[in-house]
Amino acid sequence: MSTATKLTANQRSKSGSRNAHRLRLEGIVPANVYGHGKDPLQISVPAETARPLVASGHKVVDLEIDGATEKVLLREVQWDTFGNHLLHLDFMRIDAEQRILVDVPIHLRGTAPGIVAGGILEQPLHALHVDCLAIEVPDEIAVRINSLDIGQSIHVRDLTDLPPSVVIKNPADAVIVHCVKPSAVEDVAAPTPGGVEPEVIGKKKDDGEG
Amino acid sequence: MALMPKRVKHRKSQRGRIKGNATRGNTVAFGEFGLQSTQAGHIRATTIEACRIAANQYIRGEGKLYIRIFPDKPKTARPLETRMGTGKGEPDHWVAVVKPGTVMFEIAGASRDAARECFNRVAHKLPVGCRLVERRPGT
Repeated sequence: MSTATKLTANQRSKSGSRNAHRLRLEGIVPANVYGHGKDPLQISVPAETARPLVASGHKVVDLEIDGATEKVLLREVQWDTFGNHLLHLDFMRIDAEQRILVDVPIHLRGTAPGIVAGGILEQPLHALHVDCLAIEVPDEIAVRINSLDIGQSIHVRDLTDLPPSVVIKNPADAVIVHCVKPSAVEDVAAPTPGGVEPEVIGKKKDDGEG
Repeated sequence: MALMPKRVKHRKSQRGRIKGNATRGNTVAFGEFGLQSTQAGHIRATTIEACRIAANQYIRGEGKLYIRIFPDKPKTARPLETRMGTGKGEPDHWVAVVKPGTVMFEIAGASRDAARECFNRVAHKLPVGCRLVERRPGT
């Protein structure tokens, strides 16, 4: 269960991309706080405290802005192209007793017998969209794959040991993980027939000679 | 058979310029590990095919390979030993336009070491610089 992490931020007066860029050069991440009918605030968070928070996976944060503390949800994280630097954070004000919709990562536990037997583990779903109390947002949802054999799959409906307040919003028949037989691989590429071109949309074919 | 579109609106396209970094297709979306481009470039369909074969020969049965780029840009060429002029050449091959940050290949169901070794083999075939990236937590 996610315990609220504390984060200290400062209100920033200058907005705009240029000022945000200058802040990033100083090792500060621009961020916003909004929600609950209050005015949105532009804040800045030191990157050295923001990065561990994002890496930890905690969603609910006690955000201290100029001495006042608010409970907020880390709503969105923006990274640069290469995923090296944090660009921006979005925080949404929440009540402790409020129910919220949030994406929670899935963590696979155990070793599937199907992998030992030569199968491939495929995981189409890496995060679940859950409805839960703001103070009870799970850090992750563990899925046990100890009994997953080749050809078997675990669906959303198979998840039973969830915290009591958590309701999964994904379709019940969505596949979380399945173990498949490795398909025969064609290593030899067939040579491309010469002169084969894709069909050109809107171009009429020639009727032939004459 | 090398990848190419089934239908196109125009047979030939202008060369174009590759500006800026990738703002989409720059995260690992399907597997656990990805091969991200650090340079801009054009990847030929035959190169993608060579990469696919090299990767599948290594990860055979150990994981699944995802190809995240598609060669949808035609490149023309003039026949050998012909004089200049008489217009643009005929379509010769297809390329995928890759910007810095594009995740070109992904692997699911393989260990980190296997993915690293596999992508090392793939990277040798590519005309752009690459690096191994992992799925970001929460994506």
